[in-house]
Amino acid sequence: MRNFRKYIRKYGKFFSVAILFLTIEAVCDLLLPTVMSRMIDNGVARQDLPYIYRLGGLMLLITAAGAVAALIRNFLASRVSQNFGAELRSDLYRKIHTFSFQTIDKFERPSLMTRLTNDVTQVQNFVNGLMRIFVKAPLICIGSLIMAANLNPHLAVVLAVVVPLVGGLIALNMRIGFPLFAKVQHALDRINGTTREYLSGVRVVKAFNRFDHEMEKFDSANENYQERSTIAMRVMSVFSPGVMLIVNFGIVAVIWIGGIRVDAGQMQVGHIMAFIHYMTQILFSLLMIAWVFNMFVRAKTSAERISEILSVNESAERRESVGRAAVDGTGRVDFENVVFSYDGASGDPILKNITLTCLPGETVGIIGSTGSGKSSLVQLIPRFYDVTGGAIRIDGQDIRSFDPHELREKIAVVPQKSILFTGTIRENILWGKEDASSEEVRDAARMAQADEFIASFPEGYDTLLGQGGVNLSGGQKQRLSIARALVRRPEILILDDSTSAVDTATESRIKEAIRQYARGMTCLIIAQRITSVMDADKIVVLDNGEIVGVGRHEELMQSCVAYQEIYRSQIGKEVTAHV
Amino acid sequence: MSNTPRTPAGRPGPGGGAGHHPGRGPVVKPKDWKSTARRLWSYFGHERGLLAFVFGMVVVDSVIMLSAPYLIGVSIDAMAQGKGQVDFGRTQIALAALLVSYITDGALTFAQGWMMAGVSQRMVKRLRHSLFAKVQKLPLRFFDSRPHGELMSRLSNDIDNVSTTVAQALVQVMTGSVAIAGSLIMMLVLSPALTLASLITVPAVVLLTRTIARRTGPLFKEQQVHLGRLNGHVEETISGIHIVKAFNREDKVMAEFEAVNEELRKVGTRALIRSGLLMPVMNVISNVGFAAIAIVGGWLAVKSWITIGVIASFLSYSRQFVRPLNDLANTFNLLQSGLAGAERVFEVLDEQEEPADVPLAKVLSSPAGHVVFNQVSFGYRPDVPILRDISFDVPAGSSIALVGPTGAGKTTIVNLLTRFYDATSGSITIDGQDVKEYTMDSLRRSFGIVLQDTYLFSGTIKDNIRYGKPEATDEQIREAAAMANADPFIRRLPAGYDTVLSENGGNLSQGQRQLLAIARVILSKPSILILDEATSSIDTRTELHIQDALLQIMKGRTTFIIAHRLNTIRNADRIMVIDHGEIVEHGSHDELIRKEGMYYRMFMNQFRNLEGAAG
Repeated sequence: MRNFRKYIRKYGKFFSVAILFLTIEAVCDLLLPTVMSRMIDNGVARQDLPYIYRLGGLMLLITAAGAVAALIRNFLASRVSQNFGAELRSDLYRKIHTFSFQTIDKFERPSLMTRLTNDVTQVQNFVNGLMRIFVKAPLICIGSLIMAANLNPHLAVVLAVVVPLVGGLIALNMRIGFPLFAKVQHALDRINGTTREYLSGVRVVKAFNRFDHEMEKFDSANENYQERSTIAMRVMSVFSPGVMLIVNFGIVAVIWIGGIRVDAGQMQVGHIMAFIHYMTQILFSLLMIAWVFNMFVRAKTSAERISEILSVNESAERRESVGRAAVDGTGRVDFENVVFSYDGASGDPILKNITLTCLPGETVGIIGSTGSGKSSLVQLIPRFYDVTGGAIRIDGQDIRSFDPHELREKIAVVPQKSILFTGTIRENILWGKEDASSEEVRDAARMAQADEFIASFPEGYDTLLGQGGVNLSGGQKQRLSIARALVRRPEILILDDSTSAVDTATESRIKEAIRQYARGMTCLIIAQRITSVMDADKIVVLDNGEIVGVGRHEELMQSCVAYQEIYRSQIGKEVTAHV
Repeated sequence: MSNTPRTPAGRPGPGGGAGHHPGRGPVVKPKDWKSTARRLWSYFGHERGLLAFVFGMVVVDSVIMLSAPYLIGVSIDAMAQGKGQVDFGRTQIALAALLVSYITDGALTFAQGWMMAGVSQRMVKRLRHSLFAKVQKLPLRFFDSRPHGELMSRLSNDIDNVSTTVAQALVQVMTGSVAIAGSLIMMLVLSPALTLASLITVPAVVLLTRTIARRTGPLFKEQQVHLGRLNGHVEETISGIHIVKAFNREDKVMAEFEAVNEELRKVGTRALIRSGLLMPVMNVISNVGFAAIAIVGGWLAVKSWITIGVIASFLSYSRQFVRPLNDLANTFNLLQSGLAGAERVFEVLDEQEEPADVPLAKVLSSPAGHVVFNQVSFGYRPDVPILRDISFDVPAGSSIALVGPTGAGKTTIVNLLTRFYDATSGSITIDGQDVKEYTMDSLRRSFGIVLQDTYLFSGTIKDNIRYGKPEATDEQIREAAAMANADPFIRRLPAGYDTVLSENGGNLSQGQRQLLAIARVILSKPSILILDEATSSIDTRTELHIQDALLQIMKGRTTFIIAHRLNTIRNADRIMVIDHGEIVEHGSHDELIRKEGMYYRMFMNQFRNLEGAAG
């Protein structure tokens, strides 16, 4: 919990004040039965009406004091917990943005999201609860015990028996209950897993007509869940009447013992009434404590998950960002004996001994089977990942000596999966260059062959895109993502298989436009289709993380077996006969 | 007194400690709760009697527990005279009665909980079963037209809601109502005057909770909106974080996040302060009630209109009266969301199923595979026709390739053939019989489909290959895998054919998954083969290796091939070019090239860059 120290320091003061008011509130609640018992024993028994009114007034006064304390506490608790939650969330968000991709991969993105949202909410609710009831329950419990014992030590003997019994029963309940409910949760996960799988694979199930099989699988999960949850609920149904029964026996005992003592003139009836009242309060606070404990376990898990993020201590990102500001260069890229493997991956490295030079203004095509390391190769250039061995230089300087921000300013990437953001089309293109003029935006769109379809929308460039650009087709998204990269006029342009959803005719128009526009720009193109790279200045053929051929198309057709295979697989031998 | 606070690690119950987050999020209301409730009731089947019995126990229990405060009052009165005057006889009788009612309560609560667990869980199981069985019978249209997340939530959350409703909310509503009514009657019988005094607080309770709820409702809704916005922003920027970084937009997205976060904080604080008022306010009111009973009761006792025991009883009764009143609102919300959940479940159950087999439907067994489309038209939505008047004839054992731009209707043709969807007009025949006249089961068994997105199930590789033919032997599985060129890589895996795949085969490469899917189809020995973009997500070199396997299984089988890459279909017996739902041209590769039509243009386009290189 070291990571939360900052927040404790910052909010601790207000938190303590809130707890103080909560204590006042609890004390007020505790005083009432005692006052009432006095009122009955002294007022009613002696027929002293003014005394009754006086104590009645006192009760109302105590109630009012409690109310004021509660109001202040409510205000404080709400503010403290919400401010704390917002700050924690914001810190987490900032922290995540400083992560390197290695770290992001390690956590996995969906998990990062839940930590930012659900887990923070859990912790925030718990902190809020602390200032509302969680602390009050033990206070009321202990307070009631003290008040009751103080009121009448002889009757307190009953408490000495009842409270440990109830406490023990609740503890036992939790001991048995937790694993049972964990099993229920597990069974539920199985049902959901089966269902999710069915929904995703529904076409296959239908195609192979395996309904009975799926039904059987589901029924067994369903059966299992029913059994487990019935058991869990039944075990619980033993405990709660048990607890009630013990407390109720206690009440009977209090009345009986009280009766004997009243008869002996050692105590008065009002005490018995107050005592019964305290006993119910103790019972409810004990049950509440059990519930608080349950909440605590849940919040603790969330807090740990948040802590994991806060305690990540790495800055591959900025570790060497002391580095100089990048000077405007020409965009020459050199790979020198580059070796790369992802963190924690065993076996062969993804890239082995890559040595390669991309000259300024050159278009370099990269081709190879899936898993040959093409994407990994280009991801190293903007330092999404750092090389495991060897070095990459831009304009002769090791990229690890650049500030990542400066470095990325020189580069534009069009990723394999086009990712767009909520906002207008214009805003999305402006990601590439914040201060681009309308003319520049339109130019970029035109080059990416996107202008036409954008113009066909009634709102044109101001068309609002849904999350992830859901209202566009795959090809349209790719073209926008190309426009976003082009508007930046980078020194180095990286196209990572980014025209796969665009038809060949459009693709060649885009390439032509880039050629015109990008004189002097170093351009790396990863492609599946051999036609996409055939006219590149240099084609690199990757296989299993190694370069197995470099050269122009004609050269590779002569010398590189892997390239010939790719060519044959896509174009075939006979084609020449037809053309 | 079954007002049990939540059980550890259990679901949030509305009892005891649960009422402290009132109105978190807006309550979804059922549209027609009466008929939904009636239908839910029918799901208890023959257990309805048992359930009614349990409810009877709940009512009896609540009534019995009403006697407890009265008995306490009686025993207090028996000793009210003070020293030496305690009437032990009366005390004994009262205490004995009290003990009996407590024990009865304990036994009843236990029995009721025990039986309820069985009844409600069995009922939920039945509901789950029939929902899943129903989902099996739904046509593909149903799955295609809504997001999986929504379906998942109906299959899990909504059913959970129903089970909570049945197990807890119902019982609580009943206990609560009996407690309220009973306490009121007991109080009136004991002392109408004191009843009046203790009821002073009731209008205040109703008024204040109403006011607070009215104010907090919209605030919570607003908070929900901001939370949604924050989640959306987080989802978008975290899943696209490499783009954020690539374009150096960290500061920008952080600023956006701060803005949304700040809005959320403001609204959240307001909502929390408002809703947080409820508890203290209720507490104050109940304390005021406590004081009022003490004062008025004290005065009445001094005037000798009531006894002290009556005050003692009253303190309990007023508690039993106010507490459920407080909880009832919560419980009612729970009940409503449970019914709304049931309603959403029933909506699925009422969906139209896949058409049943016609009477005397024929079994299609090892057909020759002569497929004819006769003037077939179809649209997924009536107003958007996808296929218009399509007619073609595929001789048994021949292969036909469908090409054309995205959205032209290629996959739709396959969907109609397999009866994933039914044609709007026209007819489709296999071996001269309309497909609708075969049993669905035998029809689908005749096809082997390889899709672009291969779907594998969690389980071993072996299980996945034999998915289409569960009775296959290990030897047959290996043969099929060998034919699909999958055997070598499977053997290289540490556990071989017993390698367990994670959900959708996440631990295999796309190409390997595709090979398994092909092996799966090979093993099922279909009469008609459908390759729907089967190789388009694998790189062409790997495809080359699969090609042989595919050619192998295409031999002697009617085959439909859909592909983007034109080189993959060049060997088909016939090629059909489809555009805008119509057949534009058809013929063999050579014929179409000679024709210099649409196919020629598409083909040339794909190989435009080739000329210089190959020439």
